[in-house]
Amino acid sequence: MKPTSIREMLYEPPGPAARKRISILTWLAMAALVVLTALVIRQFAVTGQLDARYWSFFARATTWRFLGEGLLTTLEAAVTGAGIAFALGFLMMRGKLRKNRPLRFISAALIEFTRGVPTLLFIYFFFLVVPQTGWKLSAFWKITLPCAISACGVVAEALRSGVNAVPRGQTEAALSLGLTDTRLFYKVVFPQAIRFVIPSLIAELVIVLKDTTFAYIVTCADLMQNAKVLISNYDAMLSVYLVVAVLYILINYLLNRLSDRLAAGSGRTGAGRSAV
Amino acid sequence: MTQTDSPIIELRHVDKHYGPLHVLRDISLRVHQGEVVVIVGPSGSGKSTLCRTINRLETIDSGEILIDGVALPEEGKKLAAVRSQVGMVFQSFNLFAHMSILDNMTLAPVDVLKRDKKEARAEAMRLLERVGVADQAHKVPAQLSGGQQQRAAIARALAMRPKAMLFDEPTSALDPEMIEEVLQVISELATDGMTMLIVTHEMGFARNVADRIIFMDEGRIVEESDPEAFFLHPQSERARSFLSAVQRH
Amino acid sequence: MSISNLLSQYGDRYVQALLTTWKLTAFSFTAAFALGVFITVLRVCPIRPLRSAGDFYVQIFRNIPGAALLILLVYALPYLKILFSYGACVLIATSLIPSAFCSEHLMSGMNTIAPGQIEAARALGLTFFQMIRRIVIPQALRSTVLPMTNLLVATMLTTSLASQVPLRPMELTGLVSYINTRAAGGVAAFAISAALYCATALLIGLAGSLIDKKVRILR
Repeated sequence: MKPTSIREMLYEPPGPAARKRISILTWLAMAALVVLTALVIRQFAVTGQLDARYWSFFARATTWRFLGEGLLTTLEAAVTGAGIAFALGFLMMRGKLRKNRPLRFISAALIEFTRGVPTLLFIYFFFLVVPQTGWKLSAFWKITLPCAISACGVVAEALRSGVNAVPRGQTEAALSLGLTDTRLFYKVVFPQAIRFVIPSLIAELVIVLKDTTFAYIVTCADLMQNAKVLISNYDAMLSVYLVVAVLYILINYLLNRLSDRLAAGSGRTGAGRSAV
Repeated sequence: MTQTDSPIIELRHVDKHYGPLHVLRDISLRVHQGEVVVIVGPSGSGKSTLCRTINRLETIDSGEILIDGVALPEEGKKLAAVRSQVGMVFQSFNLFAHMSILDNMTLAPVDVLKRDKKEARAEAMRLLERVGVADQAHKVPAQLSGGQQQRAAIARALAMRPKAMLFDEPTSALDPEMIEEVLQVISELATDGMTMLIVTHEMGFARNVADRIIFMDEGRIVEESDPEAFFLHPQSERARSFLSAVQRH
Repeated sequence: MSISNLLSQYGDRYVQALLTTWKLTAFSFTAAFALGVFITVLRVCPIRPLRSAGDFYVQIFRNIPGAALLILLVYALPYLKILFSYGACVLIATSLIPSAFCSEHLMSGMNTIAPGQIEAARALGLTFFQMIRRIVIPQALRSTVLPMTNLLVATMLTTSLASQVPLRPMELTGLVSYINTRAAGGVAAFAISAALYCATALLIGLAGSLIDKKVRILR
């Protein structure tokens, strides 16, 4: 019966004068939004961007298949990157929780390092510097590895907060049952930590996915790259980039919804890093 | 002091629905100056809702609510003005978490009643003394116990020099050992002549402090009488079963 | 190339790049914060179309990849006869994206306020604006210091987008690309930029922690 969030509570049930005011403002707002949309569409029409030649190829299956291949590579890179980030992050988290001081320090330093450097810089490292060492990497790895490295610090911290969130009682109960420390961690603490942390991990997956859009730097054939091919074929820059942007937004939106649903289930907020 | 004719709080045929639920059915009651009216009843009887309609924290579907003879405004500055004259104490204290107790006390008197800040502070300290938490004045609410917070909340309401005070289950969220200190403060207020409407589960307290008991069930006022009559000779079947269930504790 | 060589040759460029990064970050964050506040106001106001518009804005800009947005601004918008300079495009991208996250943080900050306090404020006779000014805004802001600190760091990381367009003066990421196309800068060139980014991030984090400790609300 009582509203639970501030958003609902901020305005109390309006009296007659307020109701009228809200009604008028609502109609005005609707009108303004409609006018805005109309202006945008008009600009498209006026500059000829609504012409069929810029949009007709989207009706063809080959177009979507081609984009789909790119999308697959993007998803591959994102999921692989996230997986590697998880593995690295896990190691760093363990390192930071260890009793060994130098190890703790190195882990903490690595975590701060990966969190404080932009992904683009890591990508340039793999693109420009790594070849200088003679190490040969495919384009796929040249985008996946830097994205993974960039994300592993955040993952480490998320995992650490998950581990810290597991109630002490669990550790105590396990110890009293005779479980040793490592066994204890893997069988009792970690599974519960993971459940808390899954929403943050999905949020981080979204960030990794967004980072993979720089694949064009290393000329990896992801969604953005394939979009460029379409553009040069049909000379349709605006329409293609718009469609691709919408695709990215949709995928990330769905992933975030999933993360929110899982967070609501486990009772913890899915607040990951506020990175972009 | 002679009792004036017009009541401080008056409800006439108040009705309220929450969707399909009829939570208040044809409620009419009056609270005169200096009276202490206590509302009791089972959970879901609508007593909290009733209390909250008086300062329009809940709206009503039909009927009238009058504060000191004036119809309760529906919105705006007029409503805010009437609210400033009726104090409310909540079950969950609701002190402002980011301010010290003293600032909690002076916020409304200064911003709403436009009193001088120094005067407001002095009066606030006096009220805090009266309720026994003067030494907590510069702490933030989180640093106080539940009982202390609620007493501070009562003082905060008193700082507005209200015509009447509403208490919505003031001790329901308190640990047992702190209930007494809060009930003590409320009793003293009653003795000092404050007009009060109290919703509570504390039967002993109700019996001691009330001038009139109102028993509600399923949105209706089932019985209304003085405390002795109600507790010793309940007229209705529902009141009887309610009292026997409650007195078993 | 060794670090000392690099510094003697490009030292002043590094300083300039660092300052550029800082300037871009400061400007973007300020714009993002102002936008974030505006969008949050829309999202909580009682006018439904505006609420939806605000929510829509947030969903777009928290989910769009920075590269996609920048490319749209730089290459696609001119087809709509909307031309922005490279600098403007970068600033628009680096301001719009953090503004969405800023709004999310502000909403979370508001949600830390127990709804009962709003009722208490009303019961005392405070008007809507008094309540917003004295109860809601102070608590919301004081609760979001740490998320906002993270957002400031994230904004700084986003400014690396500027390396994707010919923007002069260069910021730290663009400089690494510049150096490496001219000479085999190697790990050193990258390391200096990385160190400068990290140092800035650490300083921001420290400042944020200090501020948070001072203004944190005990609950």
